[in-house]
Amino acid sequence: MNTDVEKEFLREMDQRIQAIKTAALELQDLSDGIQAVYRNADRILASVKMLEINVSDVLDLL
Amino acid sequence: MAQVEGAERYWNPVLETLPRDKLMALQLKKFKKIVQWAYNNSKFHRRLYQDAGLEPGDIKTWEDVRKVPKVEKGMMREIQRKDPFPYGEMLCVPLERVTEFHQTSGTTGQAVYQPDTWQDWEWWAEAWSYIMYAQGFRDTDRIFIPFGYNIFVAYWAGHYGGEKMGCEIVPGGVLDTEARILKIQELNATALMATPTYVLGMADKARSMGIDPARDLNISKILCAGEPGASIPATKNRMQEAWGAKVYDHVGATEIGAWAYECTAQPGGVHVNEALFLVELEDIETGKPITEPGRRGKLVLTALDREAQPCIRFDSKDVAEWAEEPCPCGRTFRWIKGGVVGRADDITKVKGVLLAPSAIEEVVRSFSELSDEFEVEVTKKGDLDDITLRVELMPEEAGHRESVEARLVDQLRLKTNLRYNIEFHDHGTLPRYTLKAKRFKDLRPKH
Repeated sequence: MNTDVEKEFLREMDQRIQAIKTAALELQDLSDGIQAVYRNADRILASVKMLEINVSDVLDLL
Repeated sequence: MAQVEGAERYWNPVLETLPRDKLMALQLKKFKKIVQWAYNNSKFHRRLYQDAGLEPGDIKTWEDVRKVPKVEKGMMREIQRKDPFPYGEMLCVPLERVTEFHQTSGTTGQAVYQPDTWQDWEWWAEAWSYIMYAQGFRDTDRIFIPFGYNIFVAYWAGHYGGEKMGCEIVPGGVLDTEARILKIQELNATALMATPTYVLGMADKARSMGIDPARDLNISKILCAGEPGASIPATKNRMQEAWGAKVYDHVGATEIGAWAYECTAQPGGVHVNEALFLVELEDIETGKPITEPGRRGKLVLTALDREAQPCIRFDSKDVAEWAEEPCPCGRTFRWIKGGVVGRADDITKVKGVLLAPSAIEEVVRSFSELSDEFEVEVTKKGDLDDITLRVELMPEEAGHRESVEARLVDQLRLKTNLRYNIEFHDHGTLPRYTLKAKRFKDLRPKH
């Protein structure tokens, strides 16, 4: 772990994770009260949180 | 060529092999964040920290971490069943965000309620995925779960963790033991999750049906919880021989999460999942931190990412010691030698359930038809725990024995989640004590 290649690899993953998070939050804003959209976006965000725990949270320490 | 090594061996090779200094830096960062979260969102935590003269911003070093007040189960009981009902002021999210309810068994007193958001539930499944992947579970496994699927968290999270990993889950909830064995055989299940007591009990039952689990079933892995048996070599061997399978331990609790696990290297203990939890060991008498191996102490546990009801510096009362050598599996997570070896108080496990003698006393003494004296004896019948309660019926109640027994059994099951053999003795015949009474006798063989 901790080679520059690995760090770059994790950074790329984090960029995608943040893009998913942004998209899911935007989807919730756009849902206009449609539960089928809002709640499914909420589940995506819970999974995004796990991706952050596994990848994003450690990035600044590598 | 893979850009991160170890994807075949670890659920997350990044975190599970992180150098210790970076792992500790990650823990400190996350600890500060969860304290800030609890301070901002829970009246209980804000009051707790303000009373200690502590602001979240004060936490900068590991010394500061130890200044954060510990939380005991009794403190949770005091604030629960009040607004926001039923969780009280530890709750950090609006009630409408809570999607899961579970509770502790209540055998050490009043049950503690545990709310979880969907994010928390994902986190439970994530913690179990770390466990299961480390124990060799893969998406080719068909896992049979002979669990009651009730208000206790137990194997609920194992179910969801297995799904997350891509395993096929067979929920064996309402089936009796015989039907479960037949279903395991019919479906050719490859793995099992259960308490050690039940693992052995199932093997006994199977043999009585003419089925030898080691020969006739295809179970290759058994994930145990609820009792220390899977970390006790003699019990582990007995289970492994009975089933012809590898048996793995894990440690967790409703208020904390699934925080430790055995890996396939089986070094003789369990890894702490230091990516998701902060585990401190402290001297039972002085409370001073124990960082070196070989000294037993009490565990203080923090779940670093739990949002609805954070668990921060929880005084678990569990006793353990750090292991000396790094584990050959390559994980940098520290491991606990021999698993959790006991509790700092007198609570014991019977049939996988934590039992406090005081809970039995509470029930017995609520019956005016019974005398003050009673005895509890825990023994082993075969591989199963057996518990007998001896009581004295007041002489004037002699005609009500059956109804008293029925109500007693009901109340004991309600308060302790255990079934008892009840023995009635003539009034005045049970031992009387002049100093400290010894009512609780654990006659099970010591390992």
